[in-house]
Amino acid sequence: MNHLKLGLIAVSALFLLGCATPEKMYYWGDYSNTLYQSKKHPSEQTGLSHQQALEGIVAESEKRNLRIPPGVYAELGYIYLRQNKKDLAIQNFKMEKQLYPESAVLMERLENAVKRSDQPDSAGKASFPEVKPNAPDKQEK
Amino acid sequence: MFKRAVINKNRLLLTIMVILTGVSLSACAPKMVTKGDKFPLLYQDSPSSILILPPMNESTAAEAKDYYATTIQEPLSFRGYYVFPYEITTDILKMEGIYDSELMKDVPLQKFREYFGADAVLFTTIKKWNLSYMVIASNLTISIDCELKSTKSNATLWRYTGTVVVDLSGGNTGGGVAGLVAKVIVAAVRSAMEDYVPHARTANYMALNTMPYGKYHALYGKDRQDQFIEQIQPQSNQ
Repeated sequence: MNHLKLGLIAVSALFLLGCATPEKMYYWGDYSNTLYQSKKHPSEQTGLSHQQALEGIVAESEKRNLRIPPGVYAELGYIYLRQNKKDLAIQNFKMEKQLYPESAVLMERLENAVKRSDQPDSAGKASFPEVKPNAPDKQEK
Repeated sequence: MFKRAVINKNRLLLTIMVILTGVSLSACAPKMVTKGDKFPLLYQDSPSSILILPPMNESTAAEAKDYYATTIQEPLSFRGYYVFPYEITTDILKMEGIYDSELMKDVPLQKFREYFGADAVLFTTIKKWNLSYMVIASNLTISIDCELKSTKSNATLWRYTGTVVVDLSGGNTGGGVAGLVAKVIVAAVRSAMEDYVPHARTANYMALNTMPYGKYHALYGKDRQDQFIEQIQPQSNQ
């Protein structure tokens, strides 16, 4: 009887494995939802949920041997930066750049902004003084 | 002789009917095109990174812009491109005062290449994000126009519009008691308000399905023969 049960479990496990959906490209977890909630009801709570969703993506992707989706390390780094965890922020920006060389220009810009903000004359917040995608003149009226 | 005339007349009618059917079918049947034929510039330009710009909102719903923006990064990543972190790039654009669509249109695309390193930018326009109330039925409509442009050549590499219409009439609302009917409709409408975002996601998937794959996708470069329903596009954004 016990053997029969065991056999049944083994067979159904095999069956489930066989039916498993083809390997997904990325694991995004609850990302869209927590992001939406943090826009709709901005609060410490929804912000934290979104941060946890991002951290969950990294952990789960590693577990499933999937590539971390584009932008996730960077967004995490950005959140850490706002919490003044600068080392952690830079570490994540570097991870993003390593995984996706396409992000190099932006990631280096962010890293430099963090480093600049360490200088005593700065207000302690990351700033982007050199951002100039040619802001139109209309702005200045 | 009289009989023959009747037969001829029938045959003529039949012929006309066949012709008419043919004409109406060819007019109504969706025209299928391949990705390779429709978007040759995308294959040629072969961008590997995409910057999502803040959506332009042509709908009457002011909140649509922020909410819609939360739905696009994830599905776009599945097309196989490097997608810049929207939360960061948008903050930067806001600091530069170009979060508003009218101003964004004036920025030379090459600037996005220099500043962010983006090969292409995705313009999204919220065409419709509304409920329409009718006497016995109400519809929720979400329509998103997506346009991918090269930061090298300024050319439109890909464009498609995803539209989702949800019928909220929910079938039988009869019963004769006016108050009861009104209550049913109100309930349906209220739940629909909460449900905008899932439908926006569906609209995104509809549109993005026609976008050729990028380098991080297993089918990169192998999808030129994929077919989809052709859309007649209005004038370009720029």
